Amino acid sequence: MEESLASPAGIRATLLDGLIPELTPLLWQVARAAGLGAEDAEDVVQSSWVSLLSHLDTIREPAAITAWLVTTTRREAWKVAASRRKTRPADTERLADIPDPRPSPEDTALLDEEQRAVWDALRTLSPRCQELLRIVAFVPRPDYDAVAVQLSMKRGSIGPNRRRCLDKLEQALRDSSGDS
Amino acid sequence: MTTHSADLSSGEPSDESVLAKIKALFEAVDPAPPDLAERVRFAVALADLEAEAARLVEEAAFEPALTRGTAEESRTITFDSSELTIMIRIDANADGTVRVDGWLAPPRACRIEVSLRDGALAVEADADGRFAFPSVPRGTVRFVVRPPAQHAQAASDSSGNARMKTVITPALVLLTAW
Repeated sequence: MEESLASPAGIRATLLDGLIPELTPLLWQVARAAGLGAEDAEDVVQSSWVSLLSHLDTIREPAAITAWLVTTTRREAWKVAASRRKTRPADTERLADIPDPRPSPEDTALLDEEQRAVWDALRTLSPRCQELLRIVAFVPRPDYDAVAVQLSMKRGSIGPNRRRCLDKLEQALRDSSGDS
Repeated sequence: MTTHSADLSSGEPSDESVLAKIKALFEAVDPAPPDLAERVRFAVALADLEAEAARLVEEAAFEPALTRGTAEESRTITFDSSELTIMIRIDANADGTVRVDGWLAPPRACRIEVSLRDGALAVEADADGRFAFPSVPRGTVRFVVRPPAQHAQAASDSSGNARMKTVITPALVLLTAW
């Protein structure tokens, strides 16, 4: 066993080795929340990481890396999702091959009672809120501020809406527990 | 000067617990594929090294290797890249690991690494392009062929070629029985 790399490229790779396992699950959720199928989601997540390489020199803090990755993945995922929607209707043969990006009924059939309540409450929210909360839930807490700032500066600001989405969800949860 | 919209840690405790539930929910119904991070790592390594991906061109399993006195088969795999062909032969060791013998064509004194889930083993190929890993744990591996140390370029070997690219093979699964 030995260390293999001492070059700048190697140092970068080592840095990324730590971040990749930690942040890839978050980016997967970002891509899937945009409505991508599994294969597209994987492609988008991979290409975000690869394009991070050429931006690493301009990003200093780990939190800023997270924010950059989330923003890039989300933008790209929406772009791909839009192009898929455009091509799908004419392409009925492929339609069958595209897996439903959302969790399927089979997936949700196995939820326990509490998860089911959260799932049902989430589905009463706007698609925008659903996407937002799904992303925010996976952002590591130390990076949260940087991600919120980054997203709220972009068009279609995500930051300010978080409070509103959370309030709605919590209200929906209270309503449903009141029912039972 | 903190805005409560951006500062989650000082938000209501119920926010944290709701977000934790949302996270658990999606981890249950739509988790990232377990090997995605590994594939990302490979894509990043490849892009970072400007390495070339070799492709698998041939694979064959043979009858039990008579000389080893075990019932295990051996397997040979050939990878091709623009400048290099990599052939490897995999034999099972009695302890559950595998032995990997390899040849590079054209022969080059390169450094060969086998990347494992957590770490890498490295050996040098000799002047005939032969190399061997006597004991490699089972699992998913990838072979990386690196040019002779860049700074030792002056000591050019028989190939006399210009600097070669790093070559990375696709991932393959090493098993004791296949």
